[in-house]
Amino acid sequence: MAALTPYTFIQCPCSDSSTLGRPSDANPAANATNDDDEEADEDNRTFDPRAPRSNFSLYPLEYLLYCEDCHQIRCPRCVSEEIASYYCPSCLFEVPSSNLKSEGNRCTRNCFQCPICIGPLAVTSVETKPDPSLLAAPDNAAAPHSGPYALTCSYCHWTSTEAGLKFDRPNNIHAQLTKLRNGGLTRLTARERRERRKDPAYRAHLAAAAAVAVAAASEDVDDVEERGRGPGIEEKESLDVETQFANLKSFYQAQLANPNSSDTGLTGLGDLGFSSPTSLSRIMSIYTGGSLRDKKAKSRVGAMREALDADEGFQPARLDESAAIAALQAHGFDGTSSTAQLAEQPVNIGEPAFPHGQAHFASDLRPVPHLLRTKRSKRCPVCRHIISKPEAKVQTTRFRIRLVAGSYIPSIAIRPLALSPIPNTSSSFSSTSAPIPTSTSASASGPAIPGALLEPLRPAHFVLTFKNPIFESVKITLGAPAHTPGRFSSKVTVLCPEFQIDANTDVWDEALKEGLATTGGGAASGERDPRERRRRRGGTEDGSQSGINPTTQLEVGKIWERGRNWVSIVVEVVPPSLSTLPSGGGDSGLPLQEDEDVLEIPLFVRVEWEAEMGGDEVGSVMPGVGGSKEKGEGREKRELAYWCVLGLGRIRR
Amino acid sequence: MSTSSAPLPHRSVANIRSPSGSGRHHPSQHHQQQGTGPSTPHRPVPSSFGSPSGLRADEEIIIIELGTRKIQVGFSGDAAPRGCVWFGPDQQRRAGDFRDWQADYRFDWKAADAGGFWSRDHELWSYDVRGADLGLVGDKLEKALREAFTKYLLIDSRPRRMVWIIPSTLPVPLLSTALDSIFSRFQPPTISLLSSSLSLAVGAGVRSALVVDLGWNETTVTSVYEYREVSTRRSIRGGKMLVEQTHKLLAKHILESQEGSGDSGEHFVSFEECSDITARMVWCKPRQNLGSGQPTSDTLTTVKEQDEGENEDPVVDDEPGAGSTEPQRPGAIAIPLRSCSPPKLLELPFDSLSEPCESAFFDTQYSLSSFDDHELPVHLLIYHSLLQLPLDVRALCMSRIIFTGGCAGVLGLRARIFDEVSHLIQERGWDPVQGKAVHQFLTNPKLKQKRGRKSTSHSGHGGDEEHDDEEQDDVWHDAANTIPEVDMIEEQVKRGTDNRPRVQGQMRAVESLGTWGGASLATHLKAPAVAVIDRELWLLHGAAGASKAGEVDQKAQRQSLGPGGLMRVSVAGSSWTLGVWGTN
Repeated sequence: MAALTPYTFIQCPCSDSSTLGRPSDANPAANATNDDDEEADEDNRTFDPRAPRSNFSLYPLEYLLYCEDCHQIRCPRCVSEEIASYYCPSCLFEVPSSNLKSEGNRCTRNCFQCPICIGPLAVTSVETKPDPSLLAAPDNAAAPHSGPYALTCSYCHWTSTEAGLKFDRPNNIHAQLTKLRNGGLTRLTARERRERRKDPAYRAHLAAAAAVAVAAASEDVDDVEERGRGPGIEEKESLDVETQFANLKSFYQAQLANPNSSDTGLTGLGDLGFSSPTSLSRIMSIYTGGSLRDKKAKSRVGAMREALDADEGFQPARLDESAAIAALQAHGFDGTSSTAQLAEQPVNIGEPAFPHGQAHFASDLRPVPHLLRTKRSKRCPVCRHIISKPEAKVQTTRFRIRLVAGSYIPSIAIRPLALSPIPNTSSSFSSTSAPIPTSTSASASGPAIPGALLEPLRPAHFVLTFKNPIFESVKITLGAPAHTPGRFSSKVTVLCPEFQIDANTDVWDEALKEGLATTGGGAASGERDPRERRRRRGGTEDGSQSGINPTTQLEVGKIWERGRNWVSIVVEVVPPSLSTLPSGGGDSGLPLQEDEDVLEIPLFVRVEWEAEMGGDEVGSVMPGVGGSKEKGEGREKRELAYWCVLGLGRIRR
Repeated sequence: MSTSSAPLPHRSVANIRSPSGSGRHHPSQHHQQQGTGPSTPHRPVPSSFGSPSGLRADEEIIIIELGTRKIQVGFSGDAAPRGCVWFGPDQQRRAGDFRDWQADYRFDWKAADAGGFWSRDHELWSYDVRGADLGLVGDKLEKALREAFTKYLLIDSRPRRMVWIIPSTLPVPLLSTALDSIFSRFQPPTISLLSSSLSLAVGAGVRSALVVDLGWNETTVTSVYEYREVSTRRSIRGGKMLVEQTHKLLAKHILESQEGSGDSGEHFVSFEECSDITARMVWCKPRQNLGSGQPTSDTLTTVKEQDEGENEDPVVDDEPGAGSTEPQRPGAIAIPLRSCSPPKLLELPFDSLSEPCESAFFDTQYSLSSFDDHELPVHLLIYHSLLQLPLDVRALCMSRIIFTGGCAGVLGLRARIFDEVSHLIQERGWDPVQGKAVHQFLTNPKLKQKRGRKSTSHSGHGGDEEHDDEEQDDVWHDAANTIPEVDMIEEQVKRGTDNRPRVQGQMRAVESLGTWGGASLATHLKAPAVAVIDRELWLLHGAAGASKAGEVDQKAQRQSLGPGGLMRVSVAGSSWTLGVWGTN
């Protein structure tokens, strides 16, 4: 079982959907009552980190932003985003937003991914002469074949010739690719198709070409049939998705616009028989136009017919898939494309409609143009202030504005506590390399090594270190259920649920103070002195390390350790036994689910502090979740409350 | 149009647009309408004169196809969706949980399987909402949609109109949850609901269709007539069953190679792998026909309900080559299994890979009468759906069969279903009464000469014969007694239909652009949606605020193609509906 690094997840308060859409200018009184209710709710409600829904609302601290004006945590779900720029992650080329509409969401330069292994593809020249049948294919004959090129993957040696894709020019591959069907046949646009059909020379040419490239692709097969059956029968023509869509669209538009020219437009109002002036009828059409227009529309709809041939987008189904079945047998499992590969493939609108652009065989996979990405700036949805704004330039990763929550709400660090007489392990932050406590006499012995398995039914202790990032001292109140919810319930005791953390004062002040205190001390004393100074466990200063009695150390209600802007407290947990024997409970017979052996405790954190009222904020300040304003001497009381989940470690099975 | 000599009960379906109703709508009949009744026509706010912002936002309507296993998103007017997001256990991890990328990490599917989550993590919802965690459905949907928007659509979070394509069998609690979640998280001003079978019909360019949706949870057969869903039947034989059958096949072979020891009910390979193998390797045998070389054309002649040669039968050559007897395919297929321990290379005969399909969709080893209603084999389901339709609807629907859904991609399955249905029709005709007595009755030599002919002519003749216009006109005039309206309709018919006959009465399958493509087309042409839900109204009332579909003016809510407006701004206080979803 892999070791588990202790972790902290924070539940954004927005997951209570009632708080999301609250207007920013609600009056404080209503807010206060509302908040009281919520507090009552939250006090009663125990957050269950194991519930499937909670996975959607838990975030590591690094993912969270903070709105300075609303004094509220903002998670990725509760920010409103704006797009700063679009770019291709491969060539880092910025794409104007107008191109996005016309050319889609993929890079139109030469950035392609291998459809097999998603490696980057490079354009290389194909040495071998192209297939003569390809040369003879229609519309391809005239093209110069000086040097066909192909896309190759340097990692898995896939080349686009496997899908029959070769390119005439080494540049502008994307445009060439959209014109090529699998197998190398040129795809016709709708206009070309129409023109081609009118061209009498085309049929003669087609007859010759089809005779050569008879086995090349289905379209040519159809063309042979078409030739055989003479003109007029074109239902056999297999349209690709895009063409079918275009044909259908023009068909429907023609049908909708067609029936009676006098019916269309506003002139049709004359049919009403009103002898009113045209101006009046125009005004009427504005106010009652909907129903009148609807009437006409419906009378027209009755006249609308169905699409009948390929020109109108109609396609009879090709149900005969025996060729594909034979290919399936021939190619076997490895010849088919996997679900993951298909998921990467963009919809191939150049292929006939049925599988809707899905390739069944690996030989049908096409190079994947890179998906574009965006740089987004984020706003608070309530007050519309920007809380994150990246540099518009694609190449830089800097942010102009980024209000990360880590610099506003206290961070929680977790480490196991070994209550052993060995000095230095229990107090200093560098205790990660401490030796294993070898059979300590105390019953309350926990793993000193982070990541070590927790023994079931034996109390373990963890030090939670709250670090205050803001320049005010904060008061923290913790709440944790005595028994964690879930199938395996562990007992949790927060030894000191209420404490104060000093402000995050200037580091240099602190350093200078420390320097004064430890001048002239050796390495050992320099290590000890600040520790002694910091350690004010409930006010009683006991400096001697060796004389600590582990059992008396853990006093309820006492802070374990305190520093400039941090406070450590101890949490005692008794992990449950993970026996899944059917012992009585309904679902206890089930085996362990993934991560069910991780000891996770929900912890409700309430942070209170007094802050300066900013000059510009006066009057427009938004109280936080439980914020109550005290417009006294320019200071206001602020409050932030949220659930978080502490992952302490794995329990031995 | 169906100007036929059919008896009146059939007419009534053909004329859903009743004479009085259409008369009300024709401008020249306006004064008549004033005379006939005090009914005020419903006046929706015209689309083009709505708020100017509405005009601007028209270009960016997001079309979302909600499926059980994936959602497809894109913009209206595109031929294909821009992106597709599958549901899976990865999506249910916390943010910042990158264990999937760790080299030594493997999803413990055995544990999930034991918890009953073998396939459930891969589904957005199950239609059985008893005990379903609806909030979880909302969360899943939101996350998938967010991913789709960020990764594929590359849009910001400004409010945009949405069009949802959902199957018409979607239960209201699920729909309501989904709407709740999306309205509160994405702020679309309106969400329009389109039924997937209707958009398929639009995407195929037909007005009537028999939509065979071989979906994940179940197979539904929906008859669409003139853009209305006339009937829906379903069977649990869908993709889920296919994957389970595939797993059964794999398990059988694994156990064979392992020599025993394995409980039934336990899964041997992970769902991902099994689903992948199903999608890649499972195929469907063509129908084993015993006899005639051209069964489909035979079928056509028997089944054909119009005896004119006006259709040049464009289908016949498209029919699958079922006549060719399939040779037994030798050779084994090696399938690597990675999720079972230890990983192994499983060798199966190629033929055996068609068994899952056989048992999931056809179950031909059982007699057709041994199935319950919820588990009818697909071909029987289609046959029954067709059988229950009125004659003229059936004639149109049977020649516009659209296959869709995830399992339609199984190689050979569509052809097989088509052939099976053709065969059933050939065998039984359109006689709902089956059994030995009927058989005896029909084969009774005494009765045969008189009765047999009579009955066949009755069943085969009652349909739509499109000839003898004058006589039909006479009949029509006499019956309806409303001459001007008839004129109007006839005029429209002449004006609109190009006098080209409609293909009907023969089995024919039609290709559609797909659900998403059809909806994109319909939205692009500004067809009115079945139901347009306004965000404010939804947040105010929820699903309870919807009026029943029957109470709302049908004319305003019609599912017809017209320049009216999908984008109609729904005025506060005006009644809105959940369409067909509100009734079930």
